[in-house]
Amino acid sequence: MLKQYDVKKDSYETAGYASYDIKSILKTIGINPRVLKRISIACYEAEINLVIHSDGGTITFEINEDDGTVILCFDDVGPGIPNIEKALTPGYSTASNKAREFGFGAGMGLDNMKNCATTFDIQSSKEGTHLRMTFV
Amino acid sequence: MTSVISWSASSCQGCIKCLKACPVEAISIVKRKVQIDEDKCIHCDICMRTCPSHVLRVNGSHISDTLCKHEYNVVLIPTSILSEMKSFTEFQQVCLAIKKLGFDEVAEYSDIEGYLYHQALVDSSKQEGVWLTSFCPTINQLIEKHYPTLFDQILPYEYPVEVAAKLIRKRYSDKDIGIYSLCECVGKMLLAKKPFGNDESNIDYALSISHVFPKINHLKNEDTLDIDMNKYGVKSVVSQTYSDHHKSLVKIDGLDQAKHFLNLLEFDNLENVDLGALYACYEGCIGGYYLWSNPYDGGYRLENMMDNYQQDIVHLNKEDYLLDRELVLKDQKSMKERIAWVKRINAILDTLPQFDCGACGFANCRSLAENVEKGLVSVDTCRVRKGGQS
Repeated sequence: MLKQYDVKKDSYETAGYASYDIKSILKTIGINPRVLKRISIACYEAEINLVIHSDGGTITFEINEDDGTVILCFDDVGPGIPNIEKALTPGYSTASNKAREFGFGAGMGLDNMKNCATTFDIQSSKEGTHLRMTFV
Repeated sequence: MTSVISWSASSCQGCIKCLKACPVEAISIVKRKVQIDEDKCIHCDICMRTCPSHVLRVNGSHISDTLCKHEYNVVLIPTSILSEMKSFTEFQQVCLAIKKLGFDEVAEYSDIEGYLYHQALVDSSKQEGVWLTSFCPTINQLIEKHYPTLFDQILPYEYPVEVAAKLIRKRYSDKDIGIYSLCECVGKMLLAKKPFGNDESNIDYALSISHVFPKINHLKNEDTLDIDMNKYGVKSVVSQTYSDHHKSLVKIDGLDQAKHFLNLLEFDNLENVDLGALYACYEGCIGGYYLWSNPYDGGYRLENMMDNYQQDIVHLNKEDYLLDRELVLKDQKSMKERIAWVKRINAILDTLPQFDCGACGFANCRSLAENVEKGLVSVDTCRVRKGGQS
């Protein structure tokens, strides 16, 4: 099962739509609530990151039909994270003032995602950031 | 569990107002019969309030049948009933009139509510994350059935009325007692053993206020019963007064707001909140279905009587109020089967207009698709699709 969502840069008003849809689908399927909680939190954080930091990108949502593993991929077209290690530090934020006005950008995002996901892979260059999380 | 909200065919007009109003899509109308899915229903009162023909109702116990069954009968009265009283003296007169119906004792439990109100503030500020109050049965069912990811965040307390019944049963352990709960809302009716089969409860019978009150008018006079109310218990049943000066606490009343709040919480999106005090009814318990006036005047009257309430905090032992809540997961199907099931439903859904008009008798196109998949109805039940094709 596969579904894809486009996320536009600075689309603050619709931010969270993909996460909401993914959450609804997983609720309908009847996935374990404790796993769903981790997925919802990580997915929302990552979607918001696409909106506030990236130049736009896509979210790919996939469920392995045999074992129920959920795979979430976030691929954007830039500008990339200069220092991933630093970005993973709780409280470290490069969010713009505009993002902060919307209540985003507390600097907890990546760390939070890492704690929620079963596996967490991130690669970044100026051409774009690719984040892949799986949940069991 | 027996069906709680019952439907009578006699004067049902066959409109779809209940179906459209239901906040959790629990109602369907198949072959002109209204059906309520107990797995989805959270026992709020919205369908009952919406029905123009009043064919949806809840039937409580009848005291005429049960009072003679026990040696000693105790009735527990809800704190929110105060909101209907013009003065505290009137409240005490009403309590005596209730007793005259044939009860041996009239008891209240605002002191227990008061204790749990304080405990909720203490516990939620000590522990990490957002906690949710556990006092509204409808909200608890909303979380259990529709927001199961948040189930672990409900404070682990027993309902105050249940704690009260437990303590009364302990106190009269040598007697055959009958314990009655007078209810201001539909959700509370479910907590008792009868009539809806919650066998683990210490409350034997649930009675609705609107069923009992017409019978007490001729019993009421100037005489009063010596009965107290606790200030903090009163505060806990009104959303407006639930802890005035606690910044990290939000009060949420009404199901729309509650759902919005829970949606945010599912994304862990509330940074500064420690405790959410949630009520299914507007203004809190004083907006209960069986209270006859309105919660806005009610709130005014409650605050006006504030000087009459006592302010002591009783102490409860942990074993009397702590509860080991467990989330029951019904669907035992494997992930593979469930995904295949969702795919079949999505395929049917793709052939439907997805306007969610409700004219087919289901809350939305998805639930029509679910029932088509079960083989219960045909896709031709969709009126829009038919119209579009002809």
